[in-house]
Formats: sequence, structure tokens, C-alpha cells
Amino acid sequence: MPMTTPGSRDRVRAEERRRRWIFAAVGVGVIAIAVVIGVLSAAETGSALSVADVAGDPTIEGEALSTAPEDPGADPEAGSPSPVVRGTDFDGREVTIGEPGGAQLVMFMASWCPACQEELPEVVDWIDAGGLPEGVEVVSVATLHDDTRPNWPPQEWFEREGFEGPVLVDDAGSSVAEAFGLRATPYWVAIDEEGMVAARVTGMLGAEQLDALVDRVQGAS
Amino acid sequence: MIAVAQRSFAVLALVAAVIAVVVTVLLVRRRVPVWLRDEVALPLATAIAVVATGGSLLLSEVAGYVPCELCWYQRIAMYPLTVVLGVAAWHRDDRAYRVVTPLAGFGSVIAVWHIAIERNPSLGGVCDPAAPCSLRWVEEFGFLTLPTMALIAFLAITALTLAARRPS
Repeated sequence: MPMTTPGSRDRVRAEERRRRWIFAAVGVGVIAIAVVIGVLSAAETGSALSVADVAGDPTIEGEALSTAPEDPGADPEAGSPSPVVRGTDFDGREVTIGEPGGAQLVMFMASWCPACQEELPEVVDWIDAGGLPEGVEVVSVATLHDDTRPNWPPQEWFEREGFEGPVLVDDAGSSVAEAFGLRATPYWVAIDEEGMVAARVTGMLGAEQLDALVDRVQGAS
Repeated sequence: MIAVAQRSFAVLALVAAVIAVVVTVLLVRRRVPVWLRDEVALPLATAIAVVATGGSLLLSEVAGYVPCELCWYQRIAMYPLTVVLGVAAWHRDDRAYRVVTPLAGFGSVIAVWHIAIERNPSLGGVCDPAAPCSLRWVEEFGFLTLPTMALIAFLAITALTLAARRPS
């Protein structure tokens, strides 16, 4: 067994201390390089538009619906009168929801919501494929505005995805979403031509489920 | 400022990924150098845990990114590692893996599920307006999201903690 003297122990400790400083310096150096790369390469990608710039000012008449249940088959609001909402789209054109006279499928979309981002192009494809019969309209509500989240502002997203139907812009407090009992997005409310709620569904819908919603609004009318 | 922080964390995550791969190879080949085992592994694992914890707090408390449910589970796994690893590094306790590997393993499983939901939002169902787990607050270099960075941190910490074991 090798003998250690106080002198050799001191040398070992000094060597350990020296190595620790080197390792610590390497660690600090790596972090410093990461910050420098961050400073040099990061780009601020935020939009100049705020929620206040985008949000609409819709008016809501009628009684608000209760929060949509998880099971759409057990919806106590089925058959209730829909709130009537008058508002505008992103360009200031008037959009109305819930008024008797025409059946509507109302889809509530949040631009930052990845499920909505997946749903919207599928809806566009479904409409383009002729899934929407005459007399039934798909109206979107751009809601839950948040300019800190990705995919802002919403109007650019709707345009990019090629949705050509009317888009009612909710206010900053998401009053329209609240009036229709939104629990999560995407959220669908089917309103028959008498202005009654035929069905409410939370989640992504495929073409078959959209066909079924159309049947509900047509069957109820 | 937040964009700079995000990019810096992403670069550090890439460095951690390289560390995880290199240390795993050394472990598999049973060729962990003594200097790595005795002097570097635990302090480096501590540093990764501290940066991951600091980064998560910065992004939620300063940037305002609201943590979703799965983020919280990953935090539950990551935050204690700063203390466990810090104490182990200070005392050169090579048994830290007994506590670290279960915590990091739990965090890794949650992170993998979180990444799956981010990549395929239909797995997560709908967007909770407050804090949906499918929302990608950060996506650096086209693939480094927050749970991806957390997964890399958990894997690097696990590899380093195992590398710190001394032969019995």
C-alpha cells in the first residue's frame, strides 16, 4: 500500500482544486456561449397586434347556455333557444348567430389551440368536398384571444387555411364563448333554422360527425 | 429577452443531449473515466437540474407561459433533483442514483407522453382554455419544445448519476 505524506496529500488536494476550477470554468463557458448564440440568433416573432386590436364588440341577446357537458348526448340545453349574437368579422362585416331563419353550425376556434389548427383544414376540406348542404351555414367564432400564445393573430390563420365562411370575432373577455357554454376548443354548436340548439359537441369532428351534425339541424327543423 | 432565453436554453439542451449520448456510450462500454465518475458527473447533473428548474420558473413566472397539467408532473420530478443532486454532489455520494433514477424515470415517461400530445393534438382531445398540454409555447430549431428539453435533461441526469457510481 503506498504511503501518503502530508506533503503529497496537499499536492493531491491542490490538484483536485485546480481541476474543479477548470471544470467550473468550462461549465460557465458553455452557458456563456449558449447565451451568446441566443443573443445573436434569436428573433422576436411576436405580432404588432394586441388583443384589443383584434377583439370584436358583439352584442348578445337571450339567456346564456349552461356549460357544455362532456357527453353531448346528455345536453340539457338541447332544444333551448340559442342566444342571438350580432357582431362583425375581422373586416367589420356584420355576422349574426342564432337568429331564426337559417340553420347554422357554429364552430368556436382559438387560433393558438393545436386541436383547432388540426380541425380547421379538415372542415375546409369537408366544405370543399360538398359536405355542407344548402340551407346550412358554417359560422366560426374566433375566441379566447391571447396575443402571447402561438399562431397570433387569428385572422391570418383563417386566411391561410382558406376558410371562406363568416367569422364572428369574440370580445376580449370571450363573452360569446361564455354565452354558448364553451368548456374547451374546438367547440361546435348546431342551431336549427328556428334558432333552437340542436346539439353541442366539444372536440375535433371528422367528416362523418359533421354529417351527423348536419342531420341534427336538418332533422330538428 | 424571452426569445434569447429560449434560444439559449435550446442550445444548452443540445449540449445536454450530446452529454447524455456520450455518457450512455461510456456506461454501456464500461469505460467511464475516473475523473468523470468522481469529479464531474454529479456536479454536472446538478447543473443540468438547476438550469432546467430555473428555465421552467423563468418561462412561467417571467414570460407568463402557463404550465399545463403534464408540465406540473415534470416539475414535480425535476425540482427535487436540484436538492437531491446538489447534496449528493457536495458529499460525493455515489448512491444518489437510488433516488434520482426513479424521479427522472417518472419525469421522462411524462415528457414522452407530453411530446406525443404536442405532435398529435388529437391524442390530447381538446384545448383547455387555461393551459392545454398540446400547446407548444416554445419550438426552437423546429423540434425543441419544452417537454423535449425536459426529456433530454432527465436522460442526461440519469446517465450522469449512473456514471457517478463507484465499483463496489
